Amino acid sequence: MRHLDRKGFLALSGTTGLAAFMAACGGSSSDSSGGGDSAAADATETADATSTAAAAPTVDPASEPGGPIEIFTWAGYDNDPEAGAPWMWSQYEEGPYGTDSPLKWTFLEDDTQALSKVASGYSPDIVHPCAMWIPQWKDGGLIQPLDLSLLPDYQGIPEAVRAGGEIDGQTWFVPFDVGFSSLTYDADAIDFDEVGGEETWRILLDQRFAGKMSFFSDPTSIIGFSHLMNEGAVDPNVLDTAQIAAAKETALQWKPNMRNYWTSQTDAVNDFVNGNLLATYTWPDGYWRIKNDPKMEGRNIKYMQPKEGRGAWVCGMVLSANTMQPGRAQLAIASANTPEAAAALTDNFQFAGAQKDGVIELIQDKALIKAFDIDNPAAWEPPNTWFEHSIPNYREVIAAGEEVKAS
Amino acid sequence: MATVAEKPKLPQKRSRRESRNDGGSALSTYGLLAPTLLVLAAFFLLPLYYIFLFSVALRRFSPTEALAALNGELNGFTGQLWGKLVGGDVNVAVLGLEFALPALLIGVALVVLLVLTVAGGRLSERYGTWVIGIAFALLLMPFLTIPAGNTLLRIMQFTSEGIQLNLFFKSVTMAMTSSVIAVIVAVPVAYFLAFCVQKSKYTWLLIVIAPFLTSYLLRVFAWKVILGDQGLINSGLMTVGIINEPLTFLIYSQFTVMVVLTYAWVPFICLPIFLAFETIDRRLLEASMDLGATRWQAFRKITLPIAAPGIVAAFLFVFIPSIGEYVTPTLVGGVDGTMFGQNLASQFVGGSFNWQYGSTMALFLMGVVLILVFATSRFLRAGGGGL
Repeated sequence: MRHLDRKGFLALSGTTGLAAFMAACGGSSSDSSGGGDSAAADATETADATSTAAAAPTVDPASEPGGPIEIFTWAGYDNDPEAGAPWMWSQYEEGPYGTDSPLKWTFLEDDTQALSKVASGYSPDIVHPCAMWIPQWKDGGLIQPLDLSLLPDYQGIPEAVRAGGEIDGQTWFVPFDVGFSSLTYDADAIDFDEVGGEETWRILLDQRFAGKMSFFSDPTSIIGFSHLMNEGAVDPNVLDTAQIAAAKETALQWKPNMRNYWTSQTDAVNDFVNGNLLATYTWPDGYWRIKNDPKMEGRNIKYMQPKEGRGAWVCGMVLSANTMQPGRAQLAIASANTPEAAAALTDNFQFAGAQKDGVIELIQDKALIKAFDIDNPAAWEPPNTWFEHSIPNYREVIAAGEEVKAS
Repeated sequence: MATVAEKPKLPQKRSRRESRNDGGSALSTYGLLAPTLLVLAAFFLLPLYYIFLFSVALRRFSPTEALAALNGELNGFTGQLWGKLVGGDVNVAVLGLEFALPALLIGVALVVLLVLTVAGGRLSERYGTWVIGIAFALLLMPFLTIPAGNTLLRIMQFTSEGIQLNLFFKSVTMAMTSSVIAVIVAVPVAYFLAFCVQKSKYTWLLIVIAPFLTSYLLRVFAWKVILGDQGLINSGLMTVGIINEPLTFLIYSQFTVMVVLTYAWVPFICLPIFLAFETIDRRLLEASMDLGATRWQAFRKITLPIAAPGIVAAFLFVFIPSIGEYVTPTLVGGVDGTMFGQNLASQFVGGSFNWQYGSTMALFLMGVVLILVFATSRFLRAGGGGL
């Protein structure tokens, strides 16, 4: 080691660093000269190519090369017979291409993570994002329009639910799962006396239950539902700057009452059944798991129908712009879009299917139909329920939500 | 027997190595270093360079860009990202008295203290140690807390109106407190292992580091079971009748985050501290005893200075990962326990989705860590420097 003293080492690392730096400059100068333009150009190219394809659907599943079809989805939507959703994929897997183009699953954590991953080079064939993010997927040139001739059950989805995925006269998204967002609470312990007597989001402001409530860590939900507390039954996705500021103030008021902002619903469910919570934000499956937990026996667990309205979300399938097997991938999407899959979704996950065509008769656990108003369209409409959709000033809303969490 | 047999080999080994070095060329040494430098360039310098480009908006990421355009945000570097992060006044509270100071002044003061810490030893042999000690204590002071239930006792505290900067101060405080407590807990354990245990020393060491055999997530979840409202501690205290209502600060608070971080790192840092103690030549201690030193004097004058690099390294081992910590506050943090790392991560996924700003925050965090390593570098030198 005598030959490489400190000076020598520094010189050597300096040179290597400089070389790397210059290599990076070289790489990025070509990038930055195009910069955003090149990405935009790519996007337009893809859009052009696909719009021609949509005008004359020439997708032919039979002539496609075969090989695995990769589905990038939320945990639990694979074909695992125990923990997964094999009923979503059985029609495809038993069909003509099930063995030649077998399905493979990888799991996403949330919409932005999926978007980042696909935009930076990962190319699955099918992705399972939520409706709020469809414009970003489309504008990023990451997805292609669908060929409705391969999706026979598409028309069974109500028009209002389909609307978010129909942009520029083309269909980009097949809604699959739909669910409420509301508070699950212990009605024996929580009353609404201090906040007007009826069920309301303002219960989060009630200091009597401080430290016994928790909320979802999503900043848009924190701001959106605070907006409902301020304004009553209005669309929580549409706020101007002044309303965002007001919602932030309200959110800061109820923040000290929260035990935590949960990132995984399972944690919230565990905290509830272990006695740490009396009210928490959940989706229908979370409510159902709390209500039916042996530790909650004899307790009056309710899913809130606030006077300002519940929230609701829609997620579904999109077809990747880079897939080599658009036909077969769409047949796999079609398999998840059947009434049978929608009924099984309710029976197994307590969500509602986006598909409505004859689904109610197929649902086996009739208690779920009543518990989640699956046969009552009015319960799914404003002012009872507000669906998530693309937020125009998303960054402003998010920044406010992040500030609430950080302060 | 074994030691007797090994002894004569030692000089042979040394001479063989020397002769090889004399005959070998510099090229072989560079050749050996090349893979490391290449890996460093490819997986550290290059990504860092890209993060830098993102932070000054010279490079952008198309989906976040689409969002920015949709929201009418400015493109191109105007310094607004850095301004947003470090702008705004900083409030300093000393023993409850508050002063508002510009962030720039605080920065300058910190750099002066830092220079004193690093250069202090050269000022004079006699006062150098004091200068370093005081400067270092001043550097640490705003970030040290004494967790006392739900309230945290502070001698001095930094806060800022800038959301991220404020969060950063909070995170430094939490990380600093955890690191100092972890070191205070680990030193006696390592001392015991190195000096008091005679037989099967390494079995003991294995027992100390046993928690590392399980996944980090599992260990954090175990704390949820222990600290929960109906957890081990609360139900135990309620059964005994000491409390009627569960202590709610035990879970989902800053306190929990600090407890879990301390617990998580103690076994890990026992190793460097143990090794530092282990390498001390026992003859020095025997000599000091012969010269009439008390056990405390021997510890103060011999053991501690020689082991100082190991102890400081242990401190850095806890502090550096803790300051950017993401998992622990997410799992047990609650609404007060949010840390800078969580906000940073949410700029990339699951929230703000602003890669530009996330990169700025990441560079800022790295800069602070570098400064800290620089400040403590003199203690990392063998011999202990100023201690």
